[in-house]
Amino acid sequence: MKNNFLFLQLLDRLSFFFRWFNVDYPAFRKILQVKLMMDQRRVSTVLSNSSKKNREREGGNNFSKSLIFYGLIGLIMLPFIFMENQYFFQMSMIFAILSFLVMTTLISEFSSVLLDVRDKNILFSKPVSRKTINMAKTFHIIYYVLIITFCITGPSLIVALIKHGVLFFFLFLIEIIIISLLIIVLTGLVYLLVLKFFDGEKLKDIINYVQIILSIVLAVGYQLVGRLFVLVDKQLIFTPKWWQFFIFPVWFGAPFEVLLNHNTTSLLIAFSLLAFVVPIGAILIYIKLMPSFEKNMQKLLNNQAKSKGRSYKFINRVSKLLCASREEQIFFKFAYSMMRREREFKLKIYPSLGFSLVFPFIFLANSLMHDSYQDVVNGKLYYNSYFCAFIVPSMIMMIKFSEKYQGSWLYKTTPIHEVTPIFKGVFKAFLLKLFIPVYCVVSISYLFIFGMRIIPDLIAVLLGILLYVVICFKGMKQSLPFSKKFEVSSQGQGIIGFFLMLLVGVLAGIHFLLSFINYGIYIYICLLLICNYVLWRKGFTMSWHKVID
Amino acid sequence: MLNNHNEVAVSIRNLEMYYGDKKVLNNINLDVMKGQIVGYIGPNGAGKSTTVKILLGLIEGYDGEITILGERIGNGNVEYKKKIGYVPEIAEMYENLSAREYLTFVGELYGLSFDHADQKARELMKSFGLEEMYETRLTSYSKGMKQKVLLISSLLHNPEILFLDEPLSGLDANSVMVIKEILAQLAAQGKTIFYSSHIMEVVEKISHRIILLNGGEIVADGTFEELKEQSKEGSLEEIFNQLTGFNEHKEIAKDFVQTIQEVEHNEK
Repeated sequence: MKNNFLFLQLLDRLSFFFRWFNVDYPAFRKILQVKLMMDQRRVSTVLSNSSKKNREREGGNNFSKSLIFYGLIGLIMLPFIFMENQYFFQMSMIFAILSFLVMTTLISEFSSVLLDVRDKNILFSKPVSRKTINMAKTFHIIYYVLIITFCITGPSLIVALIKHGVLFFFLFLIEIIIISLLIIVLTGLVYLLVLKFFDGEKLKDIINYVQIILSIVLAVGYQLVGRLFVLVDKQLIFTPKWWQFFIFPVWFGAPFEVLLNHNTTSLLIAFSLLAFVVPIGAILIYIKLMPSFEKNMQKLLNNQAKSKGRSYKFINRVSKLLCASREEQIFFKFAYSMMRREREFKLKIYPSLGFSLVFPFIFLANSLMHDSYQDVVNGKLYYNSYFCAFIVPSMIMMIKFSEKYQGSWLYKTTPIHEVTPIFKGVFKAFLLKLFIPVYCVVSISYLFIFGMRIIPDLIAVLLGILLYVVICFKGMKQSLPFSKKFEVSSQGQGIIGFFLMLLVGVLAGIHFLLSFINYGIYIYICLLLICNYVLWRKGFTMSWHKVID
Repeated sequence: MLNNHNEVAVSIRNLEMYYGDKKVLNNINLDVMKGQIVGYIGPNGAGKSTTVKILLGLIEGYDGEITILGERIGNGNVEYKKKIGYVPEIAEMYENLSAREYLTFVGELYGLSFDHADQKARELMKSFGLEEMYETRLTSYSKGMKQKVLLISSLLHNPEILFLDEPLSGLDANSVMVIKEILAQLAAQGKTIFYSSHIMEVVEKISHRIILLNGGEIVADGTFEELKEQSKEGSLEEIFNQLTGFNEHKEIAKDFVQTIQEVEHNEK
């Protein structure tokens, strides 16, 4: 077996640490090795026809591709690195951006790995302790999070080395590792709490709510970091308040100021200490709680809940209202029930749902800080409603996955003529179930703030986003809904969503430009109606072979 | 009803299939009449599942000609699938759904209306004693219950041809009796059943005709009596062993047990 993962060899050096915590190191290493090995292989799907050789070569490609995107997005930190002598401010900002990106990725894409119960039957029947199993699981995530973190910070690290010297570089490097570990452990502890206090079906719902809350907290917390510093006389002044002790990225900015600028105020020293003490403490607590984490995870396996004899009349009627063809209606209903039930799908989609709900309000609130309420109300800030589209790319990316992807043999054995109604039905179900509620909340709130004058604009936004669904679909690799396995190595694609959001910017731009013309908004709406009509009809047409690879 | 027994339900001509360089099916020729229960047997890797998957359109890229109920398959033709029911070897379903959601979904895909599928599925579940579970997610079903749901999903649309791959796996003895009787009655009504299994006793009892596959070729084809005559062996299991050239089970078992008992000598 040729599996010389550098990561594993690195861990070998640290094996004393694992033994110290009573982890069975050889077993731990073996489990981790197998997990990493499996990630590199693509599982053949029931539908795929290609020969086995092809499949193995393709493995891992997706992950490396998404890493490029992380590198690109990391470029936004560069301006802060180039700044002079504002170490505390610049590094706080960098760590804020970093924690935001890493934690978003973690909760949306690795939650399912952390809460994985699938290998339970395999591993728990063997003489391996729960701590060892959980440690392997945690390090499986650490491996990916570290790779992603280093891709994000890569450009900044290089610039830091050249511009600020070796000492700065090493401090930066060490803190990057510490903050990634802290983020993983914190996320783990949040889930642990939830697992401990809830049970049954409620637990599964709560986990999704926690994800939404986490993403909202993240988005808001990120805004707060910038708010900590006030520009006075061209100097960024830090104004301490008690709640700032909780915004952990700021802790990590402090050591730079203390060690490199020899600025030893008691506040900075306190932050520096927190930056090292809290992560170590959190890691120790996490390790201590690992066995109970695994134990409580069993609750996720309970499936006793019996759904009430729900009436299917409502959904049948809705499907007939929204979908023209019979096949489309069938897949609409199918996707509707699947989305309601599929745990991993929910785990991955709900963080984005949180973002699309919170972004329109955050950016609005931002402007309220600077401008008077009257100015805002009469302004054009309702364009922020375009941020509702944040969920669209993630949804289109996630819709092809399923825990029970093997069930997809149905696509082939049943008489389905074309793929078009499949996608149309599924996307309509998604829009109705996830997007429309968010959009309603946002637009109703906006109507209260901006008044009835924005009704045509809100309609244009809605139509624009409907168009955006088809464009995103065309822009991504397409597979049949619920036909692929969730794989760790194919994760990290969520970041592509950030880039596809730029397309929404283009739509908003056209909208904005046309609004300067008389009746421009109505012309725009008409244009959108025509485009939507054509693209929703023709956009999903493709051959069976294209969606089954 | 019995007069259509001379009509051909499935016809396979010169079927060949490669996985990479490996030939998995070699010149398969077969005509199956309506109303026949065909026991399709062979050792692991003989090509049974591959044949069935080709007939269902799950696998493409084969050579040869296949006609099902008078229609040539391939070329994107899917209509013929309406007349086929399929139970795959492993009960793979969208288990996040309740039985009701899954069965109505499949029923509708096969062309039934929601209400019709719903009512039919509920009654079939009832006859299997699963009425209580109709609204429950399939994840909490036992293996046997899943198998029953799978069987129902393959029969909802009253197919002309049934492909069953180990359909009795996980079922208790009583349910097995019920299923066997159902199959016999369906065949009597002119349905064609492809029955693939490793349990020779069952195949021997229910099949009108037995086809034995080995190494991608048909090595025997006929009624149980005919095969018995040919090979001068008493049970289908023995015929199977003989025709697949297998007679070293004792040696293999002995080696196996010996290896298990080996002690690691070079332990520190």
